[in-house]
Amino acid sequence: MKKLTILFLSAAAFCTVLSSCKKMLDVMPGDELDQSQMYRNVYDADAAVIGIYGKFQGLAERYVLLNELRADMLNYTDHADEYLRQLSNHTVTADNPYASPRPFYEVILNCNDVLKNFDVMLKDKKMKESEYAVRYADITCLRSFLYLQLGIHYGEIPYVTGALESVEEVKDAKRFPKLSFDALLDTLIRTTEALTYKDEYPAGASPNITVDGYPTGKWFINKKVLLGDLNLWKGNYVQAATWYRQVMETAANNSNDATMLTMYKVGWDSNGDVDHYISYSRGGDATSLVWNTQWRIMYEQAANTKGYEREWVWAIPFDSRFKPENPFVKLFSPIGGQYLVKPSQEAFDNWNSQQQLPNSSAPAMPGLPYDARGILTCQNINGQPVVMKYLYNYLNWSTMLPVDVLKRTSTWFLFKQTHLHMRFAEAANRAGKHLLAWGLFNNGIAGAYPAPTSDVTNYHNTLFEPYPFNFDARNSGNSGIPYYRAPWYRNIGIRRRANLQNYAVAAGADSTLSIENGLINETALEDAYEGTRWPDLLRIALRRNDPSFLADKIYRKLKKDNVPGAEAARAKLMDKSGWYLPFKF
Amino acid sequence: MMSYKTIAYTLLPLLCCAVLLQSCKKWEDSITVNDPALKQTLMERIAAEPSTSKFAELVKKSGLDTVLTSSKVYTVFAPDNDAVAKLDAGVANDPAKLKQFVSNYITLQAWNSKAEDTASTYLQMLNGKYHLLHAAVMGNAAITSANKPAKNGVYHVISSLLPVADNCWETIAGNSSIPAEQKAYMLSLFRNVFDPTNAVQIGVDPNTGKPIYKPGTDSINTNLFWQRVYDLRDESKRFAVFILEDAAWQAATQSYYPYFVTGGMDTTASLAKWEVLKDLAAEGVYTADNIPDTVLSKFKVKIPVEGAQIKKTIAASNGTIFIMGKVDISPKNKFKQWYIEAENYSFASNNKTGNTYFRDRLTPAGVPFKDVLVYNHGISGFNLGYRITNVPSMKYKAYWVAVNDWMTTNFTQKLGIDSATSTVLPYITVTPNNYSEVYLGEFTVDRYKAAMSIFLTAAANTTATTNPVVCDYIRIEPSFN
Repeated sequence: MKKLTILFLSAAAFCTVLSSCKKMLDVMPGDELDQSQMYRNVYDADAAVIGIYGKFQGLAERYVLLNELRADMLNYTDHADEYLRQLSNHTVTADNPYASPRPFYEVILNCNDVLKNFDVMLKDKKMKESEYAVRYADITCLRSFLYLQLGIHYGEIPYVTGALESVEEVKDAKRFPKLSFDALLDTLIRTTEALTYKDEYPAGASPNITVDGYPTGKWFINKKVLLGDLNLWKGNYVQAATWYRQVMETAANNSNDATMLTMYKVGWDSNGDVDHYISYSRGGDATSLVWNTQWRIMYEQAANTKGYEREWVWAIPFDSRFKPENPFVKLFSPIGGQYLVKPSQEAFDNWNSQQQLPNSSAPAMPGLPYDARGILTCQNINGQPVVMKYLYNYLNWSTMLPVDVLKRTSTWFLFKQTHLHMRFAEAANRAGKHLLAWGLFNNGIAGAYPAPTSDVTNYHNTLFEPYPFNFDARNSGNSGIPYYRAPWYRNIGIRRRANLQNYAVAAGADSTLSIENGLINETALEDAYEGTRWPDLLRIALRRNDPSFLADKIYRKLKKDNVPGAEAARAKLMDKSGWYLPFKF
Repeated sequence: MMSYKTIAYTLLPLLCCAVLLQSCKKWEDSITVNDPALKQTLMERIAAEPSTSKFAELVKKSGLDTVLTSSKVYTVFAPDNDAVAKLDAGVANDPAKLKQFVSNYITLQAWNSKAEDTASTYLQMLNGKYHLLHAAVMGNAAITSANKPAKNGVYHVISSLLPVADNCWETIAGNSSIPAEQKAYMLSLFRNVFDPTNAVQIGVDPNTGKPIYKPGTDSINTNLFWQRVYDLRDESKRFAVFILEDAAWQAATQSYYPYFVTGGMDTTASLAKWEVLKDLAAEGVYTADNIPDTVLSKFKVKIPVEGAQIKKTIAASNGTIFIMGKVDISPKNKFKQWYIEAENYSFASNNKTGNTYFRDRLTPAGVPFKDVLVYNHGISGFNLGYRITNVPSMKYKAYWVAVNDWMTTNFTQKLGIDSATSTVLPYITVTPNNYSEVYLGEFTVDRYKAAMSIFLTAAANTTATTNPVVCDYIRIEPSFN
């Protein structure tokens, strides 16, 4: 009897526990959001957008490594592990973690999930149509950008636009067959061109505001640049140039005259923090190279400065005050970092084969026999060559010592105005506008189309060209009649800005190919290590159907750095199948 | 009442334990040190070994038995009784000498010898001397019984005594067969040199803030040869030292007198002697048998070693002393040219940094070089100055590379020897785009100079296009014609 009572009592207690469980377990966590608390209004939508970009920042290290270490200007150091060496030597095995497409797909699936929820919000009227369009376009463009990266590195990839529960599902070849790179470009162009909103986020409203001194506008992908890129890859040159031109005219209606004349226009401003010249305080004196302002400063100046605003199209800060952590100190710095990668000898040879402009005033000596951007891009620290671009907010430019070892602030430099001009010129060149293309990367539009010496009335520049190739860079000069200064008159040209002599097209050479070679090389000199070298080489090799364009450069890098297997790498890259990484989850 | 099963289940584990406990003993046995030798110290082992009993007595007598019973690990190369019997009785009765003798057989750490070993190791013994352990030979003594273990190290029995040779410096100072003149000069090179290591500070200078040291404590008496050439006392290195016989020494030093013309013969002789002496030693393992006909001194000067001129060799603990009938080092080998990078000037007549251009240039063949250009400085006779040191009295030829690549017109500049306005060398025309070396002329330095200035002097006018200074490098070459 006693036993029965005990049994009964305990059973009753058990039941009570069970019944109260439901409520007890339904307590909301204090520091995390539940699904039901998300996507309730437009601010939640903005939080989702920022969240996506936070995830996207996790790809910074991978982006730089895949796009630079596989190309010809970056090599590994003795500290690098086998997997980094594989990237550089083009011997990547399927188990190489740097070659895994999974991290890209994780962000892509996040994008898909956000887009799905935006649709739900629109349906439930939690967001206005206009608010929806802006945010939907941003996330779609970022996804397209990621797919373009995947196409560049893997060739054939599965294209997934639905929200999946798990990234593992991407593996299902039946549901998601692989698309060829070309078909992928068609799909991406179709999807992205179809977006109704293609401008930047409206200024002054979330998420385009100022946070901790950072104007957030530059964090988000520039949709028109992406559209230009997609069309450039596809070979729609006029269409690509049209999109790029729109970005070049971003400040066309800016109320600030200087901004209107210089922003994204590679225009001079007579202010070292904005001009970003290669400059010498005493022309011809190599020791008087300007460090504390001018060209180098664009990699150090604060995001809320004029110079930064007019130079950078897309750049995302890594700040020591918030996550995620800056990966670049680890990659590049021998001080406080692991110094895994270094500039290649091939890169130095490229800078050292350029010729600067002669001294214009007495003593009118010939220019220095190298490109000083090489000096500002790479420095020797304790006898080791170091890529400095990403370290100028961490190491003092003068002492090469950390300002504060624990403050590892940097920026993920994704796209700047010189990229923009170079890509526009590439498209223009292929569209037959050789002189315009040449001028943009040499001594500017006005340099390519100089003003007549006296009567400037009939001076037309490129205005006779159809859009997007009609630029008005006219400048009547001080004595010209009538007196005028056109919107593009300050365009200085990329090599002129770097104090270099013009790129010469050899007599009798094919203009298109010669100018294209010059353009691609100029991007290497100007935008080294900013994650575009491998795509540039690949794009041209694809366009010309000429694997040697790619293979020879990689071969020279490996050969000059005495890496064994240079011949094998060249042989592999001479076949198109050798251009892509193994696609393995 | 427990069933059999229960009993079995209870007992079985107990049994197992018992078995395990039993086997434990065996296990313990297998890891116990059974070799009684390993329970004894080196001292006990050497004393117990019949063939080394006499050496053990000497160790005890010298007081070094405390070392061999200590907890550090040592290797002892113990000479057997026959060998010890040959020891000079004087050594055994002199405590200092005895300690020196015994410590010549003991070294730190355990060193095993293998007959088939091809590698060899210099071991530093407790007395500082080094002996070569190679296969089954230690120094010059055969190891008759090798690798005998003890609690705190290992010992070997050797069949003969190891020499305690003097080092090179001790040999030069003490050996009676060393020729007198060079020896006297070398021994005359002792100087007091400032060295605060053991100095006693007695105050601080209120004016300069520098420490004041007790007189006599802030310097050490040291030999210039040790400081500037080789420290011949260093047991860890191997030297070849050449000592000239008196006549040869005199001849050699006197042949250098013309290059060291000064106000007095004493100074001249002393400079010439140093010039000869500084190249009479080389680093490396050399014996009379293996020395090549030329070795390099510390200053990269070739020392000719004629076999016939080697009158005698003395083996020292850290090298070999060669007594030579003649070592003829030509001044051509000793006196090197000066190659002065013009952009590294020491001083300038006026501060014209605003007009100075440090340029990176390429030769037409594409070889990079740096030069300096001072343009539009507005100073008549503006000049850049350079210092050269240890200038022997003799003739010199001067050259420069001066690239005028910014003008199509000529201008002139000159090299001022010892003064900016010196007319020893004339103004030379700098023609446009000449990248080759230009001969400037010959000049003579009458007296030896410890330091001398060279000037790159602009034309004596103030016109920008005719008075620039430009130079890649200046080369001053001794002329023996």
